[in-house]
Amino acid sequence: MNNRNRKTSALLLAAGLTAMAALSGCSGGKSAGNVAEGNHGAADSGGSGEQVTITHYTIDSEDRTFIEKLIPDFEKEHPNIRVKVEKAPYEQFDSKLQTLIAGGKSPDVTSHYGYGGFAEYYNKDMLLDLTDLIKEDGFKQEDYHIPDNLMKIYTVKDRTYGIPVNMYVTLMLYNKDMFDAAKLSYPPSDYEDKSWTFDKMVEEAKKMTVVSDDIAKTQYGVDFTWAERDMRPLYFGAEPYSEDTWSNGGVPSETHFDSPGVIAAYQKLFDLIFKDKVSPTSEWSKSVAGQNGDPFVAGKIGMSIGGSWNLAGANDFPFKIGVAAVPWGGNDKVRSTLFVDPLMILKDSKHPKEAFEWIKYLVTTEVQEKSIELSGGNPPVNTEAAEAYYKHFEGIDPQDVKKVYEGAVKYGFESYNHLITNYSQINDMFINELQPVETGHKTLEEVMPVIQKKVTEIIKR
Amino acid sequence: MSIVRTANHRPAASAHRRRIDPVKAASFITLLITTFLMLLPLFFMVSTSLKSKKEMLKFPPTFLPESWAWSNYRDIFDTLQFGTLYKNSLIIAVLTVIGTLISSGLVAYGFARFRGRGNQFLFVLVLSTMMLPYPAIMIPQFVLFSHMNWIDTFLPLIVPAFFGSAYNIFLLRQFFSTLPEELFDAGRIDGCGELRMWWTIALPLSAPALATVAIFAFIYSWNDLLTPVLYLSSSEKFTLPVGMASLTSSRFRIPPWHLLMVASVLAMLPIVTLFALAQKQFVEGIVLTGIK
Repeated sequence: MNNRNRKTSALLLAAGLTAMAALSGCSGGKSAGNVAEGNHGAADSGGSGEQVTITHYTIDSEDRTFIEKLIPDFEKEHPNIRVKVEKAPYEQFDSKLQTLIAGGKSPDVTSHYGYGGFAEYYNKDMLLDLTDLIKEDGFKQEDYHIPDNLMKIYTVKDRTYGIPVNMYVTLMLYNKDMFDAAKLSYPPSDYEDKSWTFDKMVEEAKKMTVVSDDIAKTQYGVDFTWAERDMRPLYFGAEPYSEDTWSNGGVPSETHFDSPGVIAAYQKLFDLIFKDKVSPTSEWSKSVAGQNGDPFVAGKIGMSIGGSWNLAGANDFPFKIGVAAVPWGGNDKVRSTLFVDPLMILKDSKHPKEAFEWIKYLVTTEVQEKSIELSGGNPPVNTEAAEAYYKHFEGIDPQDVKKVYEGAVKYGFESYNHLITNYSQINDMFINELQPVETGHKTLEEVMPVIQKKVTEIIKR
Repeated sequence: MSIVRTANHRPAASAHRRRIDPVKAASFITLLITTFLMLLPLFFMVSTSLKSKKEMLKFPPTFLPESWAWSNYRDIFDTLQFGTLYKNSLIIAVLTVIGTLISSGLVAYGFARFRGRGNQFLFVLVLSTMMLPYPAIMIPQFVLFSHMNWIDTFLPLIVPAFFGSAYNIFLLRQFFSTLPEELFDAGRIDGCGELRMWWTIALPLSAPALATVAIFAFIYSWNDLLTPVLYLSSSEKFTLPVGMASLTSSRFRIPPWHLLMVASVLAMLPIVTLFALAQKQFVEGIVLTGIK
């Protein structure tokens, strides 16, 4: 009980703990590798009869965890496979996934539900190449009514890394009450209607915009939140990333954010706010709808161009809404962004074969149809199940939803966030750098060269 | 002295029929306005928690609910398994507090009362652990606990508290150092061992500091999101912050703010209660240990 003894034992304890942490750190990394190796062997010998558990890692929100309700039926059909759902809130999704993998507890199936996209996972070598698995299994996308072009999105150099499961598109939602009040006719849902152009949209927006000192009376004609910020020039036909980006795993050899074409495209969008004054500033939107809110939902916007997930809440909006085609902006090929969520098997998966069985189950027509209802309106990738999706929204003509969806797919381009490497950093940088332009404190000519420089740096990381 | 001065002031003031001191009045009004501003978010939290889903989306927002949706307070139990979440959070927080008080108290006592070679060095070493941000130790710690098969149990959330934390050790050490040596001499004469002196002399005299540490430990554990997210994987083991985060997790849906506010109101209760109970000690603790 004397001082020296106490001190020595404290020191020993400290040293012991440090050593323990260090040792387990090493062995953790090693064992993850061993396990992965061992497992490939086990999988090759075929999952015959032996009971295995696979983990599906997803976001902890109702529109994702509904898969838990699909498990009992699946397990009945596959008595040797147990499915466990592991979940995390959106904000913590990426950090938990990284920790699980580093800690040797890699889940088997997941998607890029966090900030990181497919290209990031691919370049970090986290994904299992499914090509052989698909061949061995005899999986054909036609049997699951998955369009060819969607399958190609997650194929790099002829190797497949993901099976699409949900498909969101860009569409226009409009507030019918505001159109009625301004005595305007509703915009078309047909993408082939050539009269429906960006300029026509601005014209109509002007008729609905009311700017008043009283914030309660102020309303705007249009909110053009088309895709992520770096993708917006594409809408007007300007291409900020070089063509090779899409074929080599998301690493562009060149970017053109300071080119006159790209700057002009951004200018057109900011003109909506500062010149035509038909769109709200970001401060106004925040004051009306909160940090992550949408002023359209508060009934303050006539037309809102955004992701089709906005439809999922449509049954709750306090006004009548309709869907329309995204107007033509000068790019004959692209008018919509596609957000196709794939299911992927992680490289460290212990049971890739069984995981693939589960993925196949999730894209069958019957399960995809069931998922629409269970998830509260997730759009299926299976075109046969899509018919049920079109009918899901109260007060909106299923024909309109169908036309808008099919047009959007025809004129769609897969979202950059899934396709470009280090995307979460690029996106953060864009939000920060464009901020002063959005508030009117800087011009695009000042900002774009800086962005061009920073994008180049981030891509090289 | 101060009594004398007020006594001198009194007759003068009453002679002038209670004149209002402008400085006092101004500071009172400032305080009143600040209080009002500080309470406004709390007011909106409670008010929103009683609004219907449709009303919650309205702009400009209504000050008081148009129709009082008391059912929200029932619905939260259906939407989240609120009772379970609450219970889990409480278990973890209470055990964390106990662990923190025992371990940090003991270590701080050691640092405050014993002098010897390396003492300073060890203390600096302990304090330097405060410099490590959590993300830096996240993965090694996860690997460690995963080897101990502690994943999906409460252990990684509770056990570390039993090993002390630098901030609390520092806080308590400063307090223990102020205790007069004579007390311990007296104890020694009565034949107390060090542990006994810690328990019967140091701890009872340190109630304010212990209350402070307890409140800090409770709030930290109660609000912690990342650690439970990392270590827990079964829904029935989730804590309150994890459940609440799931309400805003959908990228595709408008978050049910009204239910989230219900959860926030209910989540606030233990902290408000704890603070009310320990307020006297807590304020004293802050004054005595000199933290602001």
